[in-house]
Amino acid sequence: MALLFRFLQAFALLLLASLVTAEHTSNWAVLVSTSRFWFNYRHLANVLSLYRTVKRLGIPDSQIILMLPDDMACNPRNAFPGTVYSNADRAVDLYGDNIEVDYRGYEVTVENFIRLLTDRLDEDVPRSKRLGSDAGSNVLVYMTGHGGDQFLKFQDAEEIGAWDLADAFGQMWEKKRYHELLFMIDTCQANTMYTHFYSPNIVATGSSELDQSSYSHHADNDVGVAVIDRWTYYVLEFLETQVTSANSKLNLGDLFDSYDESKIHSQPGVRWDLFPGGEQEGRLRTVVDFFGNVQNVEVENANATEPGSLKEDLAEIMRLVEKWQKRDEEYSAIIGDSVQNATEKMPSSSHVNLAPKKIVGSTKMAEDSNWGKQLVGLSVVGACTAIWVAGSILGRSAV
Amino acid sequence: MTTEQGDQVSPQVSTSHANESTVKRPPPPETPAAVQTRFRVIAAFWVVIIFLGFPIWWKTTSIYRAHLPIEEMVDWADGKACRPVFPLEIHLATPSMQPIEAQYLLRTTQHTLDDLNEFAAHHLRLKLANDSATVSHNAENGMEGAINAEAQAPDTTLTVRLLAQEGLAAPRSELHAATTQLDVFYPPSQVPVPSSSNSPLSAFIAEELQRLYGEEKATIAHILSGHTGGLDSTSPQLAESISRRLRRSMKYAETYHLSFSLFTPGSEPSSWDIEAAVKEYLSPLLQAFEPISNFTVDTQVQLYANFAPTAPRPEYDEAESAWTLKKEDLSAFVNAAEWPLNPSIGNGPTINFILYVPDPSQSPLIVKENRASSWIVPQWGGVYLLNPTLSNAEQGGQSNPAHLSHDSLGPAFMTFSHQLLTLLGTPSTPASLPLRLQTSIRIRAATLLLSASSTMGSLARLTESLPSIPIPASVASSVSTTLSHLGATCSHLREGRFGAALASARVAETEAERSFFEKSMVGQVYFPDEHKVAVYLPLLGPVGVPLVVSLLKELKRIAAGRKARRAAAAA
Repeated sequence: MALLFRFLQAFALLLLASLVTAEHTSNWAVLVSTSRFWFNYRHLANVLSLYRTVKRLGIPDSQIILMLPDDMACNPRNAFPGTVYSNADRAVDLYGDNIEVDYRGYEVTVENFIRLLTDRLDEDVPRSKRLGSDAGSNVLVYMTGHGGDQFLKFQDAEEIGAWDLADAFGQMWEKKRYHELLFMIDTCQANTMYTHFYSPNIVATGSSELDQSSYSHHADNDVGVAVIDRWTYYVLEFLETQVTSANSKLNLGDLFDSYDESKIHSQPGVRWDLFPGGEQEGRLRTVVDFFGNVQNVEVENANATEPGSLKEDLAEIMRLVEKWQKRDEEYSAIIGDSVQNATEKMPSSSHVNLAPKKIVGSTKMAEDSNWGKQLVGLSVVGACTAIWVAGSILGRSAV
Repeated sequence: MTTEQGDQVSPQVSTSHANESTVKRPPPPETPAAVQTRFRVIAAFWVVIIFLGFPIWWKTTSIYRAHLPIEEMVDWADGKACRPVFPLEIHLATPSMQPIEAQYLLRTTQHTLDDLNEFAAHHLRLKLANDSATVSHNAENGMEGAINAEAQAPDTTLTVRLLAQEGLAAPRSELHAATTQLDVFYPPSQVPVPSSSNSPLSAFIAEELQRLYGEEKATIAHILSGHTGGLDSTSPQLAESISRRLRRSMKYAETYHLSFSLFTPGSEPSSWDIEAAVKEYLSPLLQAFEPISNFTVDTQVQLYANFAPTAPRPEYDEAESAWTLKKEDLSAFVNAAEWPLNPSIGNGPTINFILYVPDPSQSPLIVKENRASSWIVPQWGGVYLLNPTLSNAEQGGQSNPAHLSHDSLGPAFMTFSHQLLTLLGTPSTPASLPLRLQTSIRIRAATLLLSASSTMGSLARLTESLPSIPIPASVASSVSTTLSHLGATCSHLREGRFGAALASARVAETEAERSFFEKSMVGQVYFPDEHKVAVYLPLLGPVGVPLVVSLLKELKRIAAGRKARRAAAAA
């Protein structure tokens, strides 16, 4: 009977432990637009719309990293100066008050983005420009811009490859900089960007398959350009109409099920295999696990008397203060001097075992074999060389 | 090839004009001097390529990777290099006992303690403290007891004073709240005699000690087991409270910035006696925390601070005759967007303490559920609602006092001190602050040891998995500092010197972080093979083909010449 009780207790503890591990302690969001110039108005609008949503659901500005490579609100071509709209009805000015842009203009580079994720920044970079996430943080990474097969263009000048992104996330995981990560990307051939990820606890979703374009949703004739992309539009529609409060119980499964290819005009993808428990488990994560902010405020009960409660602590601090007043000298009671030395060793049974690293290869997007492609490339290069050599030899003998 | 053509074109042009209709004649034979020159030119090109071009290309495209002791780093991460142990030394003071009785009591109590203990890494060692026992101890400890150097001695965690008291049925204990002393009162009749097999007194002492260090033991077991399990005997309640505490406490930092802010929606109070309050209420605590972290304090007063436009407003509660905030709305209380709360000073995290004085029209302001006036925001800081006595203003309405005196700040700063204790992860038992601080020294040492070790493992794995990432020499030196300090931490722990262990662990953690977050280790240079071909082919194709072809031709010519010479020699 006692044994059974013991067993039950251990089981309860195990359950508790698994519950504890499933919990996160803070939320961070990294929202990145990567394209410059007025005709890319919609990419900034995408990001700003998402910024509003995560802020509405409770992530404070200090935990949102917003990267805007251009300033549409102050663009001379903007017919509505100082504003950015993501809808032709112009009901909500996304650029209104309380926008905290962390990286702006030419600060938005591949290098800065990777430095941000891996925190390899100068010591004098302020904390507002750093991703301060830890092992208990859920991180939302949203990117939008112009991309192609396994790359995303930054600023018209450079591009980030799917490999670099995967390595950055891999380093974040190594340094325990996230608990779970939701990666969202809205660009052409977006799904190719997450094929190389290998670190666990990532759910990735993109707007379009390999060789597919992502389209804009609609244009505002007065603004003169498209104001939002389709996939982002429908994701936001879900978030704004269904996830109305930070207590919403809707989960990622509901969000991904809301994708409608006939509306989005491309095939959005989701990658589950990096998530422990795969799709089944991942679908159960609530949307606000990533878009909202966990903040379990602890109200102190002034009347509780258990150890560590406010009242007890106050009494102890009071004593400390009194003692401090009594002797102005340094506080030396913490580490008392000791006379004897105990050097007896005892074998220890507990040591830390790190779980073996699970290596996940990159996933294949297209059916055709890689070898075939390489062979084609090699023969093209070979043929060119052959023509060159033949040409020079023939030219020589013809002369 | 170009040099060859240069030699031949000009005579050919003149001849072809003259004999357009005639059969093509072969060019005149080359002079040996021309052949020699051509050979030298080609050789010169290749010498430059091999001895200058190739090394430069190699040098400029290779990545500097300092040598790291990968195996040792992985050993630390896997826990093979060190098994942290926590031998706590407890002194037994027996002023009213015979040495022989005291010895016997010590032995039986130690025996009971060892029987009770199920977590071998954390164990309690009893020592007799009074002078009468030193002799026997010196004999026991041999050399080390005799040397008795201060640096060698382990920290005493607790002194148990045994005091005989008449008229007691059973022993009772009393913990001194301000020192590290536990008084045990016992009836003189219960002094153990060597003939009896077990004594109620030693059992009592052992149980008392076990209870005192129960939470610490469970916490350390929880940390060492990687937050997954812990001790079997830990009650689910305790386990829950431990993991809750670990969740809400701040991540360790070398320096914390404490930011005290006075927010009020109106123009008053516009000043507060902050310096005196910090000095009186907070300095002792910060001083006590000195071995663990450094603190900087800054303060601000923000007038006309409004709630966020979307935040729920306080409601008037008739029954309480006070304005109330609902508990679930408290997370929206702090207007993170408009209140200047992230001063971004230095590189440590900021712990925010907000003193909010409500508008006279909304005073007093309390939390609806339990009339509390303060709350903790995990990993962020604390809030205190201060409702000062209102004074009647000239215009009829009421107003807040213009100045908050040192006394009126008292309760608020006591609460902030408590919140600081909580946010720094101080355990809640035993009920003596010095003991709790000692416990948190041990917990921090364990945490830092593990986190620095795991950073080493991460760096080692990173080095192996990303061959394209550069590793500067500073990383290697940081790594070696980390490893040596980790070793020092481990041996200090084994010998029970927890203050020294924490000091080394702090250095190890700082250096480990520095090595991992080295600024120049940014792996954004991954090029797929296609890209490499695309970069090199246009550059090397036009240059490389003539060079290779001319080299081949020259080799062919030399081979042919040699064959001809050999044939001539044979003939």
